[in-house]
This record gives sequence, structure tokens and C-alpha cells, in this order.
Amino acid sequence: MIIITTKKLIKQYRKGKIIVPALNDISIKVKQGEYISVIGKSGSGKSTLLNLIGGLDTPTAGDLIVQDKALQSLSRKELAKYRRFVVGMIFQSFNLIPSKTARENISLALIFGGVPGKERKRRACELLDMVGLKDRTDHKPSELSGGEAQRVAIARALANDPEIILADEPTGNLDSSTSSEIIDLLVKLNKQKGKTIIMVTHDEEAAGKVSDRLIRLKDGMVV
Amino acid sequence: MSNLWRTKLRSVLTILGVVIGIGALSSMVSFGVGMQKNLTDAFKKNDLFTSLNVTARSVNLEEISSGNLSNLNEKLQEPVTALNDSVVEMIRKIPGVVVAFPEIRFPVKLRFRDKETNLTLSAVPVGMKSFYPFSEIKKGQFFKNDSSFQLLIREKTLQDMGFKLKDNPEDTSAISGKYILLDTDSVIDSAIDIISKDIDLRGILANPFMVLMSQRRLPFKDTVIPFKLTGIIPEREGFGFDRFGGGVFVPLETSKRIPNLGFDNVWDLLGEDLPGDKYGSVYVRVNDMKMTKAVVDTLKNKGLNVFAFSEELKEIKRAFMIMDSLLGAIGLIALVVAALGIINTMLMSILERTREIGIMKSIGGSEAEIRIIFFVEAASIGLIGAVFGLGLGWLVTRIANAVMNSQLKPQDLPAVDLFSFPLWLILGAIAFSVLISLAAGLYPAIRAARVDPVKALRHD
Ligand SMILES: Nc1ncnc2c1ncn2[C@@H]1O[C@H](COP(=O)(O)OP(=O)(O)OP(=O)(O)O)[C@@H](O)[C@H]1O
Ligand SMILES: [Mg+2]
Repeated sequence: MIIITTKKLIKQYRKGKIIVPALNDISIKVKQGEYISVIGKSGSGKSTLLNLIGGLDTPTAGDLIVQDKALQSLSRKELAKYRRFVVGMIFQSFNLIPSKTARENISLALIFGGVPGKERKRRACELLDMVGLKDRTDHKPSELSGGEAQRVAIARALANDPEIILADEPTGNLDSSTSSEIIDLLVKLNKQKGKTIIMVTHDEEAAGKVSDRLIRLKDGMVV
Repeated sequence: MSNLWRTKLRSVLTILGVVIGIGALSSMVSFGVGMQKNLTDAFKKNDLFTSLNVTARSVNLEEISSGNLSNLNEKLQEPVTALNDSVVEMIRKIPGVVVAFPEIRFPVKLRFRDKETNLTLSAVPVGMKSFYPFSEIKKGQFFKNDSSFQLLIREKTLQDMGFKLKDNPEDTSAISGKYILLDTDSVIDSAIDIISKDIDLRGILANPFMVLMSQRRLPFKDTVIPFKLTGIIPEREGFGFDRFGGGVFVPLETSKRIPNLGFDNVWDLLGEDLPGDKYGSVYVRVNDMKMTKAVVDTLKNKGLNVFAFSEELKEIKRAFMIMDSLLGAIGLIALVVAALGIINTMLMSILERTREIGIMKSIGGSEAEIRIIFFVEAASIGLIGAVFGLGLGWLVTRIANAVMNSQLKPQDLPAVDLFSFPLWLILGAIAFSVLISLAAGLYPAIRAARVDPVKALRHD
């Protein structure tokens, strides 16, 4: 079953009068439960593609259909809901809120998800337990290692139980052994929970081992 | 809240701005409210809301000064209810009226223990015994009847003459040089003379040219009337002033037997007297504030001109509203400056937290939710600022009041509270502060909600 479809997807950034093409005519299909790795040189448009699928950005032209819904037809409010319940995003730089503890970072996503107070605490602890950070609930991001921080970010991405996980170079800031721990966690989510995963990476070898399919980008096009 | 304290110093300074703004606003308004309260209380204490003045005919001074004399002429042609004893008797019978008596007041000379002073004598009937300031008499007593030769004197008048009562709780030795000390018990019922000036009418009639010829000696004659000092009216407390002018009081009927140069008599002299118009005005006392309006209407229907303080109250209230607004405006300026501080702080905080806002959006925060987060922060600044601001305002008013009273004390004036912090002021200040802070947070919150998550998350 196809969960994501892009048709002739185009994204251009405008810098004054100069138009910067980031994505050029991207047409791909992603099946439910697939583990896809996106590779390509720096500036090839990997992050742009992920941001479009994640609903953080809107395409300049073309269609983007996720779970039979055309994202370009959604209002800003509906798009926020989409980000909340359909996709979970993970970034290279973790993007945790520095002033909040691990549990509070997860709680924030649960607040947006409309989870009531008592339930929130329980769910957050449960999620931290699942990523193996049971004893780090009250630590702030600055008190966590890179690997731990990324696991908190993964737990947060799972807070509202989305169908799709979008990971933009999740191991980019980590050493190789920690990286493989994170990749293992993603594989586990894919295999055990059936999450559809799209992961941007530079490590083609590792990507080849774990993913069902590779999408190679060059100058904003699939090659 | 943790976001609020993250940049602690900046937050504290911003809140301090609100504290000062609310402090200024609340103390200013508190002063206005306090003044109004003091005056209204003084009015109540002095029964101004239940006191009326009746005069025979009203002359609209504004009309005259504006040159519109046609009305005046009409007015003068109107039949007039003259103020004489039968009218006073009629007024007395109006339901709600407790006391009504003609106001008789004229200058006299007072002689007590070889000291003399010029002052105004007022006449009051026995019926006023239970009303302020006569109800306050502690030394001595009120008149026995309306035609006795008894006299009430103000403590202040005695002081002006150089006497001080011995049993005053103050240190008597310190003032003994300045004042002659009196033993209260011996003063009551002691002799006191009223010396009244009168024109020697008979002399003028005998020789009308005398007035013109003898410039040096006008045809005045002094009459000395012996009285007994029966009671002393103590000094007023607080913002008190009673509407009964004059330093001495004598019984109503007695006063009519004192020859004098009162206003009425000059008209007598000129022979321009209106038929039966004996008194310039009549003082009317109503038993209850609620009855005042009805009594005023009855009196007006009878063709009498009435001056009632209760009617003037609207004007006074408006004057106070203007004063309160002016005072409030001063405080408001401080609060507006504080609001600019809030806008500045929040815009800075949004710049610093762009990434955080991007994160919130990436995990599903909607624009409305992000706006609310910033609104809550703005409201917290307003709320905390208001609470401490009210504390500051209260402190300032207490200090100002203490300073004020320390100035009053050496002048023998009673302590006053110039300020008032009613509940509505406290709640109003909090609500206002939160509202202003929300208004200040409006633009920053909209800016925050519009942050582009892609750009916000891009730079590391
Ligand atoms: N907000 C933007 N404004 C202007 N140009 C942009 C913007 N975002 C991306 N671009 C441009 O779009 C192109 C694709 O950028 P993108 O971030 O998707 O690359 P990437 O493949 O993720 O690169 P990297 O591996 O370095 O992360 C680049 O040329 C980039 O300069
Ligand atoms: Mg990228």
C-alpha cells in the first residue's frame, strides 16, 4: 500500500531576484512500512524533500500526497495537525528544547497532541523507557550524551504515534558505535512497529544494509 | 514559566517596569479615591446630605452676567413666598423635616475675662441639640430653651482669644506661657458678654444731616448683653468642617432680641423690605438622606428656592472623576513605558527562541498554540508586575501618609488617611496590568506564530 506519493514535485527558493532550485521534478512512491534511505551530495535537496514530506514547507509546484491527502490543499492549521499525528521528525542536531528536561520535551509534543496531564507523564516515561532512557527522565539536553539526546528526540517523534518517521541525518553528529545504536533503534521501530521510515544519510554502506530501498538525489532530481 | 526565568535578569527588569507603572498608577488613583472618600465622609459626618437651605427667590447670576435681563425681570414679577415665621412653621410640618429655622448671623464683639474679640454670632434652636457639631459637646451642655441667655463657644475661639482648657491631654506646662490656662469646671456657667453694634436710628431721625456732617462719629451705639457660657464645642476631627459658621452660638429667640447691624436690618433701614420677608434663608434638616429629594421637591412646589448639597454631589462627583482621570493618566504613562518594555523584551526573546519556536512547529504546534504560549508569558509579566506594583503603591502611599501626618502633628491637626485602596482598585489594577501586557504581547506573539520552521531549524 502506497503511503506517500510525489508527482513532479518542485521546490524553489527565492533569494531576492535569484531563484534557487532545491527540488526539480521529483516523482516517488513510498510503501507503508518501507525503510527508505535518501543519499546525495550536500545541497542536492535531501533536507528539502524531507521538510516537504514533513509538512514544514510547501512545494512550489507538483503534488504531494500522504495517506490519500494532498498536502497542498491543507490549511496551515490542518498542516500543524498533520505534523502532529502523521509524521515524526528527527534531526541531525537533535533539536531538543535546551531549557526542558527529557520528559518535558516529550510532554510538549504530547500537549500538542491533546494528551491530558496525568496521562502525559505516564506516556513520556513509557516512551523514554522504550528508547532505553528510563533513568534520564529529569536530565536536560546539556546533561545528555549525543546518542542519548537523539534517543530522546526519537521518543518525542513517537509521542503521538505517527505512521511515518522522517530522519534527517540522525547519526550525523554521532560516533560510529553510537550511530549504529540509533540505526538499530530505527530498524526496530520499522520492523516491530511497522513505522514507515525515510532517513537521510551520508553513510551509503550502512544505508544499504538496513534499508529496503535507496533514493539517490542529485541537483534536486532522483538519479 | 521556565522560559520566562531563563533570561532571568531581563525578565526581572521588564517586570520591574510594570511594577513601577502599576505602583504609580495605583498610588495616584488611591490618592484620588482617598480624597473623594475623605470628602464624602466629611459631608456625611457634617450631615450635608440631609441639610437644605431655603431662600425666598433665586436670582440666576449667570443670566445677569450674560446680559439676559428679561428673565430676571420676569422673576422679579413672580409672586414670592416670603420667608417669615409662618413659612418656617409650614416647612417644619413637611414630612421628613426634623428641624427648620431661620439663619440669623451677624458680627458681634465678645468679651470674656477682660479679653475681647470680633466674631460672627449664629443662632440655633434647641432642636439642633442632637446634630453635629452640637451633638459633640462634652464640656458643659446645650441651651435649656430657645430664649435663655446662654451661649455656646467653640474651643477654637477660646484658643484664638488666648485661652486653653486645662484638662486637654497635652502637656500644659509647655503651652502655659502662650496661653492662659482655664479650669473647665470653673469656665462653664461663667459670665461672658456680647457687645453688639447698632445704628442709633432715633438719632438719625432726629437729625438726618448728622450722618453727613459728623464724619468722625457715626451714629453707632454699643449694647452690652450679659450671657452665661453654657458649653464648649470641641475641635473637629479629620477633614471636618461644619456648615455652621461663627464662633459663638446663642438660642434662636434670644438672638432676635440682640440689636444688630445684620443684613436684614439694612433693608429695614432703607425701607425696601418685601412684605413679610423677614429672613434671608432658612436652614432645613431632613431626617434621612433618602427623604432629601422629596423634601426638595415639596419646597420647590411652594415657590421656594432650595439649595441642597445632595444636588451638588453630581457636580462634585464629576470634578473628582476629572481629578482621578488626571492622576490616572500620570500612572498610565508609566504603564505605557512598561508596555514598551514588554514588547521589546518579548521581541528579543522571540529572536533568541526562534529555534525553539521552529521545534514546536516541527512537533505539531499550531500557530494558535504558539501565540497562546507567548500570551501566557505576557500575562504572567502583567500579573506578577501588578501584584508587586500594588505592593509598591501601597508602600509609597503609607510612607507619603506618614510624612504628611508628621507635618500635621506639630500644627495640632488630627491625623488623616489621604489614600484609599478599595478592592475594586486592587482587582482593577491587576486586570488592567494583565490587559496592557496582553496588548503588548499581541505583536510579538503574532510574530512568533509566523516563524518559518525551515529557516528556524536550518542554522545550527
Ligand atoms: N531557505 C532557503 N533559502 C534559499 N535556498 C535554500 C533554502 N533552503 C535550501 N536552500 C537551497 O536549496 C538547496 C538544497 O538544500 P538542502 O538543504 O535540501 O540540501 P541537502 O541535500 O540537505 O544538503 P546537506 O547535505 O548539506 O544538508 C541548496 O542549494 C540550498 O542552498
Ligand atoms: Mg540537509
